[in-house]
Amino acid sequence: MPRARWPVTHARNLTFAHLWFGFIAFGAALVLGVWQMWSRSPLPAPFVTSSTYFSSVTAHGTAMAYVLPVFLIMGFGYFVAETSLGRPLPAPRWAWSAFALGVAGALMATLTIFSGRAAVLFTFYPPLTASVFFYVGLVLVVAASWIWCVLMMVAMAQWKQANPGRPVPLAMFATVANAVMWLWTTVGVAAELVFQVIPAALGLKAQLDVGLSRTLFSWTLHAIVYFWLIPSYIAFYTMLPRAAGGRLYSDTMGRLTFILFLIYSLPVGLHHLLMDPEQSNAFKFLQVALTALVSVPTLLTVFTIGASLEIAGRLRGGRGLFGWIRALPWERPLVLATGLAFVMLGFGGFGGLINMSYGMNAMVHNTSWVTAHFHLIFGGTVVIMYFAIAYAIWPAVSGRAAPSLKAQRVQLWLWFAGMMVMTLPWHYLGLLGQWRRVATFNYADPTIAAWGPWVVVSLVGGVILLASGVLFLLNLLQFNVQREMHAGVVGELYAMAVHPPARVPAALNGFRLWNTLVLVLMILAYGYPIAQFFVGNPPQALVHRVDERR
Amino acid sequence: MDRTPDPLDRPWRVWASVAILSVFAFSLLFGFVLLPVIQGRAAGVDAFESICRALGIRPGSPSGRQPETSAKAQPTTRVAWSAELMDALANPEAAGESVAGSCAGCHGRDGRAVDLALYPDLAGQSAAAIYKQLHDFKSGSRRSPVMAPLVQSLSEEQMIAVSAHFAAFPLRPLPAAQFPAADPAIEELVARGDAARRIAACNACHGEQSGGPTEAPRLSRQSREYLAAQLHAFKSGERRNDIYSRMRSVAQPLTDKEIEGLALFYAATRTY
Amino acid sequence: MAISEEAIVRSELRWAAIAIGVVSVIMLALIYAGLVHHINPPSNIERIDPKTLHLGGEFTEANLGTRVSADGQVTSRIVATQFTFQPRCIVLPANRRVTLRFATPDVIHGILVSGTNVNTMIVPGYVSQVHTEFTRTGELLMPCHEYCGLGHSEMSAVVRIVPSEEFKPDAEGKVACDAR
Repeated sequence: MPRARWPVTHARNLTFAHLWFGFIAFGAALVLGVWQMWSRSPLPAPFVTSSTYFSSVTAHGTAMAYVLPVFLIMGFGYFVAETSLGRPLPAPRWAWSAFALGVAGALMATLTIFSGRAAVLFTFYPPLTASVFFYVGLVLVVAASWIWCVLMMVAMAQWKQANPGRPVPLAMFATVANAVMWLWTTVGVAAELVFQVIPAALGLKAQLDVGLSRTLFSWTLHAIVYFWLIPSYIAFYTMLPRAAGGRLYSDTMGRLTFILFLIYSLPVGLHHLLMDPEQSNAFKFLQVALTALVSVPTLLTVFTIGASLEIAGRLRGGRGLFGWIRALPWERPLVLATGLAFVMLGFGGFGGLINMSYGMNAMVHNTSWVTAHFHLIFGGTVVIMYFAIAYAIWPAVSGRAAPSLKAQRVQLWLWFAGMMVMTLPWHYLGLLGQWRRVATFNYADPTIAAWGPWVVVSLVGGVILLASGVLFLLNLLQFNVQREMHAGVVGELYAMAVHPPARVPAALNGFRLWNTLVLVLMILAYGYPIAQFFVGNPPQALVHRVDERR
Repeated sequence: MDRTPDPLDRPWRVWASVAILSVFAFSLLFGFVLLPVIQGRAAGVDAFESICRALGIRPGSPSGRQPETSAKAQPTTRVAWSAELMDALANPEAAGESVAGSCAGCHGRDGRAVDLALYPDLAGQSAAAIYKQLHDFKSGSRRSPVMAPLVQSLSEEQMIAVSAHFAAFPLRPLPAAQFPAADPAIEELVARGDAARRIAACNACHGEQSGGPTEAPRLSRQSREYLAAQLHAFKSGERRNDIYSRMRSVAQPLTDKEIEGLALFYAATRTY
Repeated sequence: MAISEEAIVRSELRWAAIAIGVVSVIMLALIYAGLVHHINPPSNIERIDPKTLHLGGEFTEANLGTRVSADGQVTSRIVATQFTFQPRCIVLPANRRVTLRFATPDVIHGILVSGTNVNTMIVPGYVSQVHTEFTRTGELLMPCHEYCGLGHSEMSAVVRIVPSEEFKPDAEGKVACDAR
C-alpha cells in the first residue's frame, strides 16, 4: 500500500474530469426526471407534449444509464489503478483521448435528443429509428470505455509482471473484473447497433429483424447493471471496512464475489425478455436458473460486509448481539452510505427476485413496479455509494481537506429519504396495474384517479432527490473553497483483510479461467437463442424513422 | 505470467466446471424436459410436441392446445409496404411528368389544386401516402366515383412515378388572408391527444418526427374541405382503407366541431 | 485478530450454503408453479410477416375479436398498431379457458390486462399467445405497456369479462362487445 502523498499525476486530473462530467450529466438528468414525474401526475405540468416527454425520457435514461456510470467508473478506475497499485497510470494520453471521445459522444447524443430527433428511449426500440448521430454518439461513449478497459488490463498486467506471485490488490482486481465484464457486455449492443440499427439510421436498410435486435440488446441489458454496481461493491469491500475502523472479513470471498459477477451477469439477459414471444420457454428457464445464481454474490457480500462491520463495531466496544451496530462510526459518510445502501438493497433485491420468477414475472412486467425497482436498486443502492465514493476520494483528488461532513451526511439522508418516498408508492402502483412509458394518464378514469395521490407522493420523493442532488454538487464544489490542503495519505483509504493473503491461486488473481467459462456459458445460454434468427427467414419489420419524414 | 501450472488452481477449475455443468444439467432436465412433458400430459399434448414447443421449434405452449383458424382474408387495402416498394418510391424508374399531365386538371400542374374547396393538394405530400390512395382507388378499397375510373389504366410503375413526382413539389405558401387564432382545445388534440377518448396526438402520426405509420399523410396546408370530409368519412366508417382502423378509431369519438377545428388548424398552419 | 482463517472460511462456506439454499427454494417455487399451475412465460415462436399481416386470413379485420370454434375453444384475436387496438373492446367468458392471440403490423407493443396474469410483448414478426382463465367478471383495462411511439400514452383497449350465461356467440361463433 502506498504511503506517500499522492503527487499530481494524470490519473488525479483524469478522475477529477471524469467524475465532474458524469455528475453534471447526472444533475441535468435529475431535473428532467422530476419534470417527467410531474407530467405523469394529476398536477398540470408545463411544456408537456408527447414529443417533449419522450425526448426527455430518452435524455434522462441516456444520461443516467450510460453517461453517469461510464464516466464515474472510468474516473474511479484511474484512481484505483494508481492508488492501489502504487504506480503511475500507463499511457495517460490514451486515457485523455478516451475522455475527449466520451465527451464528444455524449454531447453529440444529447444535442440530437434535444433537437427531437431521437425519441427512442435509452433502450432504442427498433424498428423505431432515430437520427444516426444519436447512436454514433453512444458508440463513441462506449468506444471511450473500451480504451479504459484496455488501460486497466494493461495496468494490472504490468503490476503482476513487476510483482510476480503476489496477489493483485483487491480493489484493482475488482476493477479489472469489471473491465473484462464490460468488454463482454457491450458485444450485444454493439452488434445490434453496428449490424442493424445504424445501417437503418443511415438509410442503408429499410427493414430489420426485431426479435434479433431485442435479443442482442438483452445480452447487454442485464450485465450493464452489474457494470454499474461493481464500483459500489469495490467501495464495500476495499474502503468501507477501513472507514468503519475494522478490517475486511475475507479477501478471498471478495475476489470470488467479483468473479461470480463476471461469469453470471452475462448469460441471464433473457430474463428481460420473459414476456417476449420470440424466445422459447426452455431457454428462458435456463437463464432464470442462472439469474438465481447471480443473486449469490450479493448474498455473499451482505454476509462478508456485515461480518466486516461487526469486527469494526466490536473493536469500538460494541457488545451483545446487535450492540456493535450502534457502536459503528455512523458519522463517517462512507459508513452511513453503506447502511442506507443495505436497507435499499433489501427492498430492491427482493423486487429483483420477483422480477426473475419465470412465468410469475407476468404480474409485474412493464408495470411501474419495474421502474420503481431499478430506480431503487440502481438510483438508490448503487448511486448513494457513488456519492460516498466521491466524498471519500475527493480530498486526494482535489488536494483539499474535506469540508463539513455534516453536509455530506444530510445529503445522503436526503437521497435515501427521497428514494424511499419516490419508489415505495411506485412499487405499489405497479402492483395495481399502472403501466410504463406514459406521458400523461387519464385521471378521469376512476381506476386511474385512485392512483393519483400515490403518484403525487412519488413526485414529492423526486423533488427531495433533486434537492439532494443539488446539495451533492454543492458539497463537491465546497472542496474548492477549502484552504486547508489534504494532509492525509491515500494509503489510508484501503482496508486490510483480517488475514491478508500472501498468495492466491491464479484463478483468483487473473481472468483466463473465467473468460473461458464466460465463453462456454454464453454459447450454451445465448447460442441457440441468437442462432434461431438465422434459421429460416424470420420476418422483418419496416423501419419507422423518428428523425424526419421520408 | 503464470507459466507453471499452480497446484492451487486445479481444484478451482474442477469445481467451477462442476458447478456450471450442474446448473445446466438441472435446467436441461427441468426446463427442457420435465416441465413441458408434465404440462403437456395435462393438456393432452404428446411429449415430443411438448418438448418441441418448449424449445421453440414449434409454435404454441406445452400447456395448451393450439387454436385453429380458417378465416378468409378480407383486406381493407391491398397495399403492403416493403423495402422494395419504399426504395422504388424514393428512386422511381419511370418519370412521372407524363402521367401527371392527366392529373393537372384538378390537382394542378405543380400539385397545387386548382380549387381547394373541391380537390386536395398533392404538392409536398408524402409519396407513400399518394401511392397508397391511388392503389386503393384502383382496387376499390377506397371508393371514389371520380378517382376510380381515372386510375384504372395506371400501372404499378406509373403510380409510383406520379406519387414521387408530386411529392417533390414544394408545399403551397400560406395565403395572405388572416386566419382565426388557433383554438387551444384543438392545439391540445394536435400536440397531446385526449387520453379519456383514447385519441393519440395527431402529431404522433402526422408530425415531422413521429415514426408513425408509413402511409400517414402530411396534413399541413391541405384543403380544409377535404380534411373535414375525410374525417367525417372515417368517422362514419364510409372510408375504411386505413389499416386496422387507425383513423376510424381516432375520428369516431371526435365531435363535428372538433373536426371543423382540426381541418382549419391544419389548413392554416405554419409550423406543421 | 482473534478469529482464525479456518473459522472465517468455515463461516463463509456455511453462509454460501445458506445462499445456495435460498436460490434453490426460489427455483423450486418456480418449478412448482410450472408443474402444478402450468404457469409459463408467454413464449410462442410462431412467425408471421408484419408487412402483410392485414392481407392474411387469421388477422384480417373481419376475423378480429372473440370467436368460439366448433369444438368450443374460445380464442380472441387482437391487432396492436400505432396507436390503437383493433378491436378496442373484446368480450370473454369467466371461468373458462381462453386463448388470446396478438399480432402487430408495425412496431413493438405490449399488453397487460389489469388485475390478471395476462401480460405479453407484441413483437413484429411473431404471434403472441396467452392462455388463461378469468375468474372475475367486470371491465378490465388493457393498455399498451411498451413504448411504441409518440401515441403510446393514449393506446388502450377494454376487456369485458362476462358470466358464461351472458356469453353468447352468434351463428359464426363471433362475440362482440356492445356498441358504446
